[in-house]
Amino acid sequence: MSSRSLWASCSRRAPFPSSRRAFASEAPRPKKAPRAALQTAVILNRSPIITRTPSLFERAYYNYQARIQRALHNPFPYEFYFKPGSPLEAKFSIEERRRDRKAFGAGFGADSEDARSTLTAEDLKKFGQEEEENTVSRLHASDLSGDVKSLDRNGQRNLYLLVQQKKDGKDAWVFPDGDVNAGELLHEAAERRLLGQCGDAMDTWIVSRNPIGLHKIHPPTPPTDPSVPPKTCVFFFKAHIMAGQVHPDGKSVADFAWLTKQEIEERVAADYWHSVKDMLSDF
Amino acid sequence: MPLSLLAASSSKLPLRVAQTSVRCYAAPRKEGGLDAAKEIIRRSLYPPNVRNKPTPTGTWRPDVARALQKAIPSKQAHETIERAWKLHLRHIRHQRDADLMRKYECMKKAMDELEKIDPHLYKEANRVEDPRVRTQAEVELAKMLRGPERKALDARSPGLFPRELRVPADTPPRDGWNYSWKPSNRPSVEKLAS
Repeated sequence: MSSRSLWASCSRRAPFPSSRRAFASEAPRPKKAPRAALQTAVILNRSPIITRTPSLFERAYYNYQARIQRALHNPFPYEFYFKPGSPLEAKFSIEERRRDRKAFGAGFGADSEDARSTLTAEDLKKFGQEEEENTVSRLHASDLSGDVKSLDRNGQRNLYLLVQQKKDGKDAWVFPDGDVNAGELLHEAAERRLLGQCGDAMDTWIVSRNPIGLHKIHPPTPPTDPSVPPKTCVFFFKAHIMAGQVHPDGKSVADFAWLTKQEIEERVAADYWHSVKDMLSDF
Repeated sequence: MPLSLLAASSSKLPLRVAQTSVRCYAAPRKEGGLDAAKEIIRRSLYPPNVRNKPTPTGTWRPDVARALQKAIPSKQAHETIERAWKLHLRHIRHQRDADLMRKYECMKKAMDELEKIDPHLYKEANRVEDPRVRTQAEVELAKMLRGPERKALDARSPGLFPRELRVPADTPPRDGWNYSWKPSNRPSVEKLAS
C-alpha cells in the first residue's frame, strides 16, 4: 500500500542482492531448514573369483562344436612340433587317439585304419595311463560349512559386505554407513566411514564419485522443529575389495557377513531391501 | 559349407588351379638338402597350391567324411541346434541388459535427488577426473620420492581401474584369498604438506 511496502517488494525482486537495503523494521528471515540429512553407505563387492559353471545345454553345445572342429580341422603337423620318433610324439599320439575315440566312437582312434603305426608297445605302456590332474577344486571348504565371514565362499558369485549396526536401539543388518561431515564430499565421506568402521586391513577401491543409489529414511513422526531436516538420505557408493578382511571396531559395528543377493534379502528390512535391490548384481 | 562333404557332389572350388609359379622362398627344395628343419617350416608356412582335393588348403584329415557324419546328426538337427543356441544367447543378453537398466535407473534417481538437496555436492559428484593430470603438489612430491614409494604415488589414479582387480579364472588361486593384507604407507600430498 504505502511507498515503503512497494519499495520492499521491488527490492526483493531485484537481481543483485547487494542493491537491497536492509530496513531496520523488517523481521529477520527464518533460517531455511536443510532439505535432508545426508549419510553415505558403501556397497563393498567381492567380484567373482572363478568363471560360472556352464549349464547342461552350454556344455552339450560346446562339446558338439568341438566334435565338428575335430572332424574338419587340418591334420596336425606332427613333423613341425615333434622330432620324429621322439617319446613326446608318442605321448601326444596316444592322447590324440584317445580324444578321437572319445569324440567319434568306435572305428576311430586306435581302431582307425589311419592310426599311426609308429607306436611301440613300450610307448603304450609308458604313456598309456591317464595323468592325474592336480588342480585346485572349485568348491571351497567354506561353501560346505556355510561360513559367511569367508571371502572364498561362492567363488562364482558377487559377494557384498553387510554389517550389523545399532539403529534406533535395535540391531539391524545394513551396508556400512555413516554421517557426512560438513564440507566433505560424499565419496570421501564414504571411504572414511568404511575404513573407520571395518578397519583399514582391506584393499578397497571406490569406483566413482557418483552415488549409485539412494535410501530415504522418514522419521515415524514428522519433526515439529523446522530447522530439523524432514528426512535422512543415505547415498550408496560402489566399491571393490581386492585383498584383506574386515576387522570390526566393535563400537558401531557388532558383526559382519559376506553375502549373495538372495542372502541379503533374507537379512535386511523390507523397505531397505526395496531401495537397495536394484543396485546389486543378480549373479 | 562343410555339409557339402556329405553329399557326393562336385565342389564349387576348382580342383586344379593353373600352375602358377611360386616365389623362391616358398618353392620346395630337393631332398637330401641342407636343413631338414627349414624344409619342415617351409612346408608348414607355404602349403602347396595344387588343388587336387576339395579343401582350400588341400589338407583335411583322411577320414573327414566319416568323422563329420558321426559329428553332425543331420542338416535339420544342426540348424535346430544353432537356432537354440542363438535363442539361449538372446535370453542371457536380455537378462544382462535388464540388470544394467535397473542399476542405471537407481543411479539416475539418486543423482536427481542429490541435485535437489545440494547443488554443490551434485556438481562435485559429476566432475570427471582426468587420470593423466598431475597437480603441482604431486609433481613436487614425486621429485622427492624414489623406488616403491614413487610407484605407490601413481598406483591408484582417480578414474583408472586398479591392477589388482582380477579376471575370474576356471579354478581359484592355490593360496586362496589373501586375508593378511596390510596397507603400505602410501605417501599422500596432504600428509607431506602438513
